[in-house]
Amino acid sequence: MTRPAGRPALLEVAGLRTVFASDGGEPAAVDGVDFSVEAGRTLAIVGESGCGKSVTSLSIMGLVPAPGRIAGGSIRFEGEELLGNSEARMRALRGNRMAMIFQEPMTSLNPAFTVGEQIVEALRCHRAIGQADARSAAVDALRQVRMPDAASRFDEYPHRLSGGMRQRAMIAMALVCRPKLLIADEPTTALDVTIQAQILELMRELQRDTGMAIILITHDLGVVAELADEVAVMYAGRVVERAPVARLFAEPQHPYTVGLLGAMPRLHGQARRLPTIEGQVPGVDHPVAGCRFADRCPFGDAGCRRQDPALVPVAARSPAWASDPGRITSHWSACLKAPLDPDRLLANAA
Amino acid sequence: MTASREIAAARSREGAGAADLPLLRAEGLVRHFAIRRHLFSRAGAVVRAVDGVDLAVMPGETLGIVGESGCGKSTLGRLLLRLIEPTAGKVFFQGEDLGLLDAPALRARRRSLQIIFQDPYSSLNPTMTVASILAEPLRLHGLAQSGAAVRARVADLLRTVGLSPDHARRYPHEFSGGQRQRIGIARALAVEPRLIVCDEAVSALDVSVQAQVINLMMDLQRRFGLAYVFIAHDLAVVRHIATRVAVMYLGRIVEIGDKEEIFGHPRHPYTRALLDAVPRSSPQPSISASSGGTSVVGRVLLEGDVPNPSAPPSGCRFHTRCPYVQDRCRTEEPALASTAATGDHRAACHFAEEIARTRGTLHIAPQDPDDPALASRLRRLQRAFVQDASFNEVPP
Repeated sequence: MTRPAGRPALLEVAGLRTVFASDGGEPAAVDGVDFSVEAGRTLAIVGESGCGKSVTSLSIMGLVPAPGRIAGGSIRFEGEELLGNSEARMRALRGNRMAMIFQEPMTSLNPAFTVGEQIVEALRCHRAIGQADARSAAVDALRQVRMPDAASRFDEYPHRLSGGMRQRAMIAMALVCRPKLLIADEPTTALDVTIQAQILELMRELQRDTGMAIILITHDLGVVAELADEVAVMYAGRVVERAPVARLFAEPQHPYTVGLLGAMPRLHGQARRLPTIEGQVPGVDHPVAGCRFADRCPFGDAGCRRQDPALVPVAARSPAWASDPGRITSHWSACLKAPLDPDRLLANAA
Repeated sequence: MTASREIAAARSREGAGAADLPLLRAEGLVRHFAIRRHLFSRAGAVVRAVDGVDLAVMPGETLGIVGESGCGKSTLGRLLLRLIEPTAGKVFFQGEDLGLLDAPALRARRRSLQIIFQDPYSSLNPTMTVASILAEPLRLHGLAQSGAAVRARVADLLRTVGLSPDHARRYPHEFSGGQRQRIGIARALAVEPRLIVCDEAVSALDVSVQAQVINLMMDLQRRFGLAYVFIAHDLAVVRHIATRVAVMYLGRIVEIGDKEEIFGHPRHPYTRALLDAVPRSSPQPSISASSGGTSVVGRVLLEGDVPNPSAPPSGCRFHTRCPYVQDRCRTEEPALASTAATGDHRAACHFAEEIARTRGTLHIAPQDPDDPALASRLRRLQRAFVQDASFNEVPP
């Protein structure tokens, strides 16, 4: 995720720490997360339940629910530091410069208003625009997301639409103010596979047409492979690996990513016993001294349990990688054993 | 183990004579649900959830049933166990018509026919300990009388599904999603069934946990000669676990056959579209949108939504979304048919032969990373994550 000098990232997150107050203190759901996104690119944040990927996206939007709060770090969006912003300033940004869509459109659309009214409201919150112009802009937005029969759908209530059409309506609402950043939290998880393919294709086209950046929050590595340019893999509140999408799938450099890719059943290839990641994610209220994945890692040793590994470029841990012109500097891993070499790791394990 | 060998192994357990008899067979199954617009209005429209399904499940095999929301796959699963009554049609278990059984006889048959649900959170009683959840079916079917015998069998079952006997005293909320699904599996296994309907049994689980439960289910199948009806919307999971696959659309089976045939040589346009819609398991550098805007190179994306099941389209039910639609499809309903060449692989499409010729022999191209050296390194690393199949103790 290094970028050409002089071209600032649209969004830069550094050392983000989001905690949730509980009886036993303030455990961190997100515990020191760094990444950046450029205009026109898609960053996927991938991980399993409870890894902190949704809390990360809510932190960016300034929507962390009580008793949660952002306890540290920095979120810079278009050069502006968002942490410490007033609620009024965040409201001016949300739905305008940055927008978010959610997994379940039925719970994020208001059932008491028509789809059109909700898009018009999103527009008129941020633009001085008359009702008639807003209506025609909203119908345009519905057309842009390929809503069948857009003009007449304006007056439909959400419950009258299919799941795929609801998700299109929500995307239309998110995009009506032409945001620079769209955060999509599991946007296709509730959809059937043929509808998922339609929505992913729509997101690709909208990004090409508008140049917006997308942060895609998902648990589905298949969706990552379809849509992402770069990937951040999260585990137990941390980013454990960051890489361009093709590198991540071809040569993952964190054992958790290796395990996740292996556990995914495939549409092709030999049927075999699925690799699994045994054990469980350490609880947020039980801090671990060393690497948070060490207890589940087939390559973990005493050193891994002592030292908390930082997320650094793989090349920084290996002179061989650093001097190999075929390697890229933008592959980061939070594993002391990186670069992962099967000869060395399997000999040690045996 | 190949599919056919698995079936052969299961059949040999059946003993000679029963070898070619299906364990479970459905004939012309139909289930309609009346929908009422208002409380006092007369029932008008009906949803044709399952609308004429024939299938057979052989001992020890896994029949995958795939399709999108509302295609009727879950209703079909319940009909197969007679958990709901069919509007028409019959289900035979080992040749016996389940519809003719009275309540006590049906309950006795249920020992052989179990079900696992998607959501282990809502299918386990939160006020019962794991021990009482597992003991209940044992007592109901008189499989263990004394307290000591029940306790021993519960401990057995927990070990069988990879949990510890110590877990018996706990309540469902004390377990993770994957562990709860293991408890659901243990409850189904308690009565030593011959067939288990798995209704989206791994869909709610994270991918690493899902892999554990899939491995467990495949181990248990080999050990106990179980047959599964595996209902799922995830085609990659079905490809991994199934021996045969049925594809459903709007209450009908549109294609059924051996797993490798369905995934390698799909003959129905809907099956092709479903396979095309599945996200690729690694990034495809060649993907770019075509000028038409609705397709990605080499893939057909379906437009629109599934039609309303209370008013299915005339003729072929898929014709409103089919990229190959002809006039005949709008009026004449195609039968689920095979040819001499396709054998047990049947598809309900007038133009299956023509469509089959429009693509190469293998529908899904391999998608492993281009560099074989990298692919081999990754496979070696992943092998370190493969757990030994023998970790589950064999019960006495």
